[in-house]
Amino acid sequence: MDIQNTQSQMRKGVLEFCILSIIQQGEVYPSDIVEKMKQANLHILEGTLYPLLTRLKNAGLLNYRWVESVTGPPRKYFVMTEEGKAAFATLLNTWNEMAGSVQALIQKNDTITSSEPNQVS
Amino acid sequence: MNKVININFQGRILPIEELAYDLLKQYIDSLRTYFVNEEGCDEIINDIECRIAELCDERLKKGTPCITQDDMNLIITSIGRPADFEAQDGFEKSTASSANSANDGRQQNGNQNTNNNTNSNFYRNGNIPKRLYRDEQNKVLGGVCSGIANYFVIEPWIVRILWLFLIGLNILVYIILWIAVPSSSVKEVGGVRKRLFRDIDNKIIGGVCAGLSKYFGLRVGIIRVLFLIPFIRFIINFRHIHLFQFWDFPDFPNFLDITFSPGAVFIYIVLWLVLPEAKSSADKLEMVGEKVDLNSIKNTIQNDMEGFSKRAQNWGSQFSKKSRTESGEQKAEDRNEGRDEQSNGAHENSSNMTYRENKGCLHFIGMAITISIKVFVYFVLAIVGISLFAALFGIGAAVTAVYPLKKFVLEDGAQSWAAFGTIVLFIWVPIVGIVTAIIRKIAGFKKTNVWIRSSFWALWIVGWVMLFYFGSSVGNSFTKHNKPVEQAIALTNPGINYLEVTATPKMKYYEDNWFKISEFVDYGDEDTIFVRNLRIRIVQSTTDSFQVKVVKLSNGKTVAEANSLANKINFDLTQQDSIIYLDKGIGINAKDKFRNQHAIMTIAVPIGKRIKISNKGWSQTNININHRGMRTETIDRISSDDDWYNEWDNESFSYDRGVTYLMTSTGLEKIGRADIEDKEDDKVEMSDIENQLNELKLERERLEGDLKKSREQKIKELEKIDRALEKKSADKKENKGLTNNTSLLPDLNKVNKVASKLADMQSVFDRFHY
Repeated sequence: MDIQNTQSQMRKGVLEFCILSIIQQGEVYPSDIVEKMKQANLHILEGTLYPLLTRLKNAGLLNYRWVESVTGPPRKYFVMTEEGKAAFATLLNTWNEMAGSVQALIQKNDTITSSEPNQVS
Repeated sequence: MNKVININFQGRILPIEELAYDLLKQYIDSLRTYFVNEEGCDEIINDIECRIAELCDERLKKGTPCITQDDMNLIITSIGRPADFEAQDGFEKSTASSANSANDGRQQNGNQNTNNNTNSNFYRNGNIPKRLYRDEQNKVLGGVCSGIANYFVIEPWIVRILWLFLIGLNILVYIILWIAVPSSSVKEVGGVRKRLFRDIDNKIIGGVCAGLSKYFGLRVGIIRVLFLIPFIRFIINFRHIHLFQFWDFPDFPNFLDITFSPGAVFIYIVLWLVLPEAKSSADKLEMVGEKVDLNSIKNTIQNDMEGFSKRAQNWGSQFSKKSRTESGEQKAEDRNEGRDEQSNGAHENSSNMTYRENKGCLHFIGMAITISIKVFVYFVLAIVGISLFAALFGIGAAVTAVYPLKKFVLEDGAQSWAAFGTIVLFIWVPIVGIVTAIIRKIAGFKKTNVWIRSSFWALWIVGWVMLFYFGSSVGNSFTKHNKPVEQAIALTNPGINYLEVTATPKMKYYEDNWFKISEFVDYGDEDTIFVRNLRIRIVQSTTDSFQVKVVKLSNGKTVAEANSLANKINFDLTQQDSIIYLDKGIGINAKDKFRNQHAIMTIAVPIGKRIKISNKGWSQTNININHRGMRTETIDRISSDDDWYNEWDNESFSYDRGVTYLMTSTGLEKIGRADIEDKEDDKVEMSDIENQLNELKLERERLEGDLKKSREQKIKELEKIDRALEKKSADKKENKGLTNNTSLLPDLNKVNKVASKLADMQSVFDRFHY
């Protein structure tokens, strides 16, 4: 089995959710998203982020605002729409459920496979 | 030192190095190709551009005077290249791209189809119809087989086995497909493009192998070996080149056979000339195809081709019309029909696709034409160059080989030195120079040493001077020729019906070759060469008897010299019954030199009589035959001396040696082998040989008798000694033994001598027998 592939699949699954959760906290500039993700030890390239934001915006989950900056031209800040908030709530729900179930599974597995430690990935 | 330019980028003025600007442009282009099918592509690009501008601004505020290449690389890395998105990207292409999930094609196609309908928003490339790609993930060599397998939805190993069965022709096809068919990784990233460069950092000769290895992602060693095997074969088979006959290429190596011939060397040289060096770091990145994923050339060409697109469309519609009518006409041919329908379908389905295909097509045709012209020109140039070099080398080798013979041609002193100088300076100096230049180029010395180069040129110029002096002085000693005097050779029985001309059986000359040094008794102890400068003319006789005349000719500095040289020509002619024995050539010694001494023998054959020129040991003798027999009064009619020097080639025809000819009123006629008299001739010949054979046999018997006698004698002597020995006492035995031995030794020698004589006779005998 391709571990790397699975790993990336997992990350891909939650990436949108992570970004939404950051934006949900308030108006944000894309590079700040990258920064916050980094703090949470999740790495994302801006080149990946921009298309993602555009896609979410086109889907109606996000909106943006031009904010005047002191140093140069205005910058694009992203905010969440009502629709986005609803979507985020659904996703949050799903996440909680899933995290709980996965955690439960892992713990059960731990008790079973404690005698065979090399099974833990 | 880099040029800095100011750009207005997303509302900011940025001072930026030109190279960094190129990098930026390439990066943006690569993004554009990557996101081309994305909804809101422009917006994404714009956002990223804004961000880049911001990052640049930050850097400038920190105090850097301008954006350097390194800065730009850092910025680009932080934002990420399309290749990096691949590894990290959240949503796209996880299932849509064929190569990413390196599974079999069936599943991928299925996924593609379903995804197309549902989520065109997330899955780009969805509308692209099935196309042949090389499968980078499942590749063994170039991924051609697995690509084909993917295309036809079969297992790759089936294709590979089929491919192996048809090997030979397929090597070329494989390579062509390898180059022509885009890689699946290209499709995936949307225009990642590698370019083929010469990798001068890892080069051994020209960096071609290293560049190819980078391009194809193979190890350098593999490619080097692929190039080397045929080259070694080429070296081993080098003798197939006929150095002296290079103009009619009988065994000239086949340059077109790429697999096992110097073709590989040739391809190497062509690639060396055609491929650019990877000079700048951008080139190097592009060569590896890792970091610079853009397709600057393709994009620019695409832009240029915008104007062509309409024309291309017209062309495409014309093509489809034509194919439609054709398909109407040729309904019987299923294949054509199918193909036409396909093309029609393609045209009707999406005009967009025909657009692109036509563009690609035109582009490809243009490239192909330029490349093929280039290749052709280089090919021709290289062939000419190689031929010239081979010719020079051949002349050098030949002249050097002949050089020991110079004493037979050249005068001592200035002329000899001039010859030596010409050989060394005019022929070998440029050869050495060219070889050195090639080696230096191969070794990669960039500085050409001025001193070496100019001294080579200077030596060569001296060589030219030598050549002119040598040529003129040698030519001078050949300017005059003697006054020809025709000697009539008296035949003992000129009235015979049949005359045969053959080489003398005397062991006067040992070899049959042209310029062969041989010592022979007749000329004393001096070395002599032997020149086959004999011509035989056969003409019609005015009388009813055979006439033989010989003219000895020579050149020289003065007429007197030429006359004396001509007189010195020792050319023997002996007659025995109906056979005339001739010397095989003219001996030339070092004192008198070679001044084109030659002899012309005229044989006048009466009408109705036969002549035969034996083919043994004659191969190089010229035989001129008056075809129609019109030159009957040959000798008298030649008034001018110069006539002897004219070639009569226009009147000669191919003469078969060893065949009997009959002189008729219209000329010579071949007499077939079935002819009775011909058989008689054979008998005559046979009896002659038999006579010789008998003589030899007699000689042999005599010698054998001698041997027997001497043997008997010796046995008797031995018996005597034995008897004496018996009588002697035991203490004197050793002495007796000694005397015994000494008395035997000379006898043994005698026996050996006789035996060797016998062996000699045997070899002579064999020779005649042959």
